[in-house]
Amino acid sequence: MNDYENAIEIKGVTKKYDGFTLDNISFDVPKGCIMGFIGQNGAGKTTTIRSLLHITDINSGEIRLLGLDHIKDETAIKKRIAVVFDELPFHDVFNAKDMAKIFEGMYPEWDNSAYMKYIERFQLPMKKKIGQFSKGMKMKLQIACALSHNAELLVMDEATTGLDPVVRDEILHIFMEYLQNDKRSILMSSHITSDLEKIADMVTFIDKGKILLTSYKDEVIEKHGIIKCSKDKLKEIDNEDIVSIRTNNFGAEVMVNDRENAGYKYRDCVIDPASLDDIMLYYVHRDAKEWS
Amino acid sequence: MKLYKSLIYRELKLTRKRCILMLILFLLLSLLMLLPIVIGGLSGASEMDEDLLSIVWLASGVVALTGGFLAGTNNGLQKADINSGWKRYSFILPPTAKQQALSDLLTKLCYILFFGLLSAAFLMVCNIVSGINIAVEGIDPICRMLNIYLGAVCAVMLVDIAYIYIIMFANDKKQLKLISVIAFVGAGAVFKVFGLFPGMNKTEKPVENGTMISEEAVNKFEAFLCSWKTSLCILAVFVVLCVLFFLAMWRSHERRES
Repeated sequence: MNDYENAIEIKGVTKKYDGFTLDNISFDVPKGCIMGFIGQNGAGKTTTIRSLLHITDINSGEIRLLGLDHIKDETAIKKRIAVVFDELPFHDVFNAKDMAKIFEGMYPEWDNSAYMKYIERFQLPMKKKIGQFSKGMKMKLQIACALSHNAELLVMDEATTGLDPVVRDEILHIFMEYLQNDKRSILMSSHITSDLEKIADMVTFIDKGKILLTSYKDEVIEKHGIIKCSKDKLKEIDNEDIVSIRTNNFGAEVMVNDRENAGYKYRDCVIDPASLDDIMLYYVHRDAKEWS
Repeated sequence: MKLYKSLIYRELKLTRKRCILMLILFLLLSLLMLLPIVIGGLSGASEMDEDLLSIVWLASGVVALTGGFLAGTNNGLQKADINSGWKRYSFILPPTAKQQALSDLLTKLCYILFFGLLSAAFLMVCNIVSGINIAVEGIDPICRMLNIYLGAVCAVMLVDIAYIYIIMFANDKKQLKLISVIAFVGAGAVFKVFGLFPGMNKTEKPVENGTMISEEAVNKFEAFLCSWKTSLCILAVFVVLCVLFFLAMWRSHERRES
């Protein structure tokens, strides 16, 4: 087993489609970290994940997973990673027992007792056909399969989308447990920022195929703030401090990218803390600058 | 070995329903073909032996041909994998494209062996039920059956390989539908073009001397069918097609989404 610092290293990756380009993106997911991968629908999250899993070929750039090249060392990597998609990719005619039989031969480190524990914990029926499962049950089964072969890296593409808050919370709890082993890492793409706010150590924002920011979550939240002011006061705020401005009938809400500095500069203004949701919203509108 | 066991288990489990349907069809046809032989065998009239022999030969040929078609035909697995999303998921699983292709081939060979044994069993049942010696001088009935069976398997496998090459370009349900429609229209166009060639459409030509095929031609064809040389040739073609099938599946599993 090789030693590595970053579970995922993406350097200058470009992938071109008709009408969409993943444009020279770079970011790292350190070992033992949960990285939240945030962006609106169509921002490039799924394309990034498909590129790093080598589901699709990239046009340029370099991707390393667990310190290994994602194409040259593909076979070695696949034994040590697990992926959860937004839709269950298993055939409807199978049941949970069949899936264990299938994965048992595929993964050298498949742990049947761990799988059974997850099945029991999620209260999934062993013999019921997957086609008769609810969406929540399907997702739980996919997660049980993903966590039962001692994977070092878990990649999730919108895994919690469409699930009710109770199931989502249960699943997030499982991920926290999974990360108790500090050799394990998670990349979790989602547009439900509240989930990431709960569990992510780091966040990466992507929009229109470009990475806008990648950093530790607390740092990102601490750095950004929202100034609520009148339209006259708005003129006093430096353009370089502003991410974008949301206007309304009463005034404006300005997102600043350096909250501490803004606090000194604009002493007479109230600066509210920003959530990941706010940050995503204001960054998405950064080109328009002013929006309502 | 454990890996192939898993892969083949998945494929057999997924194609089980289709296999049962094919088996029912095969058994119904066998039963239908067996009826006149049973009736002829029970009559016990020795002057009917020659007619009974012809019926046995015809029945075993039809059953072997049907068995071959059923065994060689596409098992719908690729289509099911695209529809369920497993094809995309398989890219992140440890088995390599080569291992997956080999398991596809092994599954196909399982079906070919299964229906081949059933066809052979039918011939044996015919032998017992008819109460006559079905081996004619210089002609081995097993060899004849094997040639018909493998010939049918090869013909269907050739179409299957072309089909695999076409649908490998589909990544999801939507693309699969589009590609299927294009392939269907394309196949129709190819048949239409073939029909335009001189000699390909002789439906309006009257039958010469009132006989469609001369007895000499039938005898020649029978001799060709029952020859061990033919068996070797068909076996060689079968091996080549298995290799082509493996390569097509390999390419299909290796091909990444665009």
